[in-house]
Amino acid sequence: MTKKIVSVLFLSLFILIALVGCGATDSSTGNEGNKENNGDEKSNNEILIGITQNNVGIDSYQTTYENAFKDHAEDLGVRTIVLDAGGDVARQINQMEDLIQQNVDVIIVWPVNGKAIVPAARNAKEAGIPVLITNSPIDESGFDMVSGYTGPDNVLQGKLAAEMMIEALGGKGKVVEIMGLPGYVTSAERSQGFREEIEQNSEIEIIETQPGDWNREKGQRVMEDFLTKYREIDGVYSANDDMAAGAINALKESGRLEDVKITSSTLFAVGYDAIKRGELYGSVQQSPVEDAKLALETAIDIALGKEVPFFNYFETPKVTEENIDQFEKPIF
Amino acid sequence: MQSVFHKNRIITLLKEQGIVIAFIVLISSIALVSDTFLTTENMLLVLRQVSIIGIMAIAMTYVIIGGNFDLSVGSLLSLTTVLMVDLHDKVGPLGAIIIVLIVGLTIGCINGLLIGFYSLNSLIVTLGMLPVLQGITLIYSGGKNVIIQNPEATWFSIFGRGFILGIPVPVIIFLGMALIFGIVLTKTIYGRKLFAVGGNQIASMFAGIRSKSVIFSTFLISSFATSIAGIIMASRVMSSQNNIGQGYELTVIAAVILGGTSLLGGSGSIFKTVIGVLIIGFVNNGLIMLGFPYYTQWLVTWVIIISAVWIDLSSKRGHVFA
Repeated sequence: MTKKIVSVLFLSLFILIALVGCGATDSSTGNEGNKENNGDEKSNNEILIGITQNNVGIDSYQTTYENAFKDHAEDLGVRTIVLDAGGDVARQINQMEDLIQQNVDVIIVWPVNGKAIVPAARNAKEAGIPVLITNSPIDESGFDMVSGYTGPDNVLQGKLAAEMMIEALGGKGKVVEIMGLPGYVTSAERSQGFREEIEQNSEIEIIETQPGDWNREKGQRVMEDFLTKYREIDGVYSANDDMAAGAINALKESGRLEDVKITSSTLFAVGYDAIKRGELYGSVQQSPVEDAKLALETAIDIALGKEVPFFNYFETPKVTEENIDQFEKPIF
Repeated sequence: MQSVFHKNRIITLLKEQGIVIAFIVLISSIALVSDTFLTTENMLLVLRQVSIIGIMAIAMTYVIIGGNFDLSVGSLLSLTTVLMVDLHDKVGPLGAIIIVLIVGLTIGCINGLLIGFYSLNSLIVTLGMLPVLQGITLIYSGGKNVIIQNPEATWFSIFGRGFILGIPVPVIIFLGMALIFGIVLTKTIYGRKLFAVGGNQIASMFAGIRSKSVIFSTFLISSFATSIAGIIMASRVMSSQNNIGQGYELTVIAAVILGGTSLLGGSGSIFKTVIGVLIIGFVNNGLIMLGFPYYTQWLVTWVIIISAVWIDLSSKRGHVFA
């Protein structure tokens, strides 16, 4: 009996210490943060911006993004702390805590997981440090915790691919869709944008959707299966150029490339070449350089205390054979 | 007398080939519903789709019979594919193939040395090797995707895209290797040594078998086969993402286990591994042919795999429940 009481006492003591401890650090950093924010207009070199990215090095988009971010910060003379979560949610949350401790002016987060970072964003808000979400959206429950979002409009990118598909097929035909990794917001949003536009403004029928997991080899395999299953396919919508390239491989092998129009939602180097060769009808340019610049510039505006809109999209133009020469070939 | 003899033979057949029966049941039930499934075109397609996994799986069968695991094959596939694609335009196809094989065998040597000669646990060694190889791949490529500039203009395309007598080349390589691996396993001294070592390493040492060398060789074979798979993969997609092949180790091991190879080592068969590989391939293809929504496919795949293992087990036991 006494043992039980002692352990309960200890437990409550621990909880008490933990609560007091957390509360103390939170309020102290919070005050400092507020003081700085209330200060006079700053010059760029007084601004310190921290960023924790999703997974640099896993693909060329993120690698290019990081380099563009650093370069642009140097050009603008802003001090930055550039971190990378390596695709690990727990590490990203730790990095956000670290950035709070270092009392940066703005924390930019490229969420590994839109839901898991909500509590960390709340901590930052309580510490008086604004959080800006970049590239991939945060879960809606976190909207109140953050100052805004910058990045591509994925619904629009799906819609643009649909417009090009309608144009290519003259408004009717049978289309298969190769979507991104299921459970990933980007996949769902692009698919949604594509479907809405097709359903509202054309007689095109989407006969089947399968995931290609953003992966060229998987995209190729799925397309091979589609080609065996359906004698008649007029169009293929692929959520990015990598999977489109896989689909083109499969179509070439079966000798049906001539009969099929392909559109995609993100332009990669393979897609650029494929458009030039006339194999890919069209794609949508989503530049990691623009993505990084917009994130940094919005963060600076927030640090300077300017009002920014919640959603900040950078432009993602349609790219087809007609206008491709106006665009640089992506390096990823 | 005659009929009893026949009956016994049928029972033995059922007991030994349960997984084959499961496979036939699977194929026929999908074929009943989908009319595009059981066509020569689709059969060849599935065979080609599984050949990469298949080549890795037959070599993995050796590793598992020897009582070990090789978890590094997925990331070795990434590394060899990226290397092959990148070097193709730099040193030419032949040079690239040679370098890829050397790199693959070196990795196999390291795994084999640590596990065979230093008796370290294979799970730890190869689990550690997995991120190491991913890291090397990322450092090598700098996080960028690599592509072969002129996929149409190179003889290298034969490995992944070519046909001989109407049969895809990857399938020929896969089935050819399966045949050789099968014969070596059942008809040679090496094969018998491998079973002995996997069954009981200490006993095999007393029997005068150099068990360490045998274990070493299985990892060399595994990495060699994975390098071949990487070359085929490179030729098939003519480009490489850094995460290509990631997670393949689990599919490969699943195929081997599905084929009835004991996790504890000492028993297994190449033929049944091939059946295991085919089951996985036909399930993936069949579910698309049947038009299942993708989010139910994962569930259905699980149900089918469990049923296949169940049919296999109950035929061995002679009754449905344990």
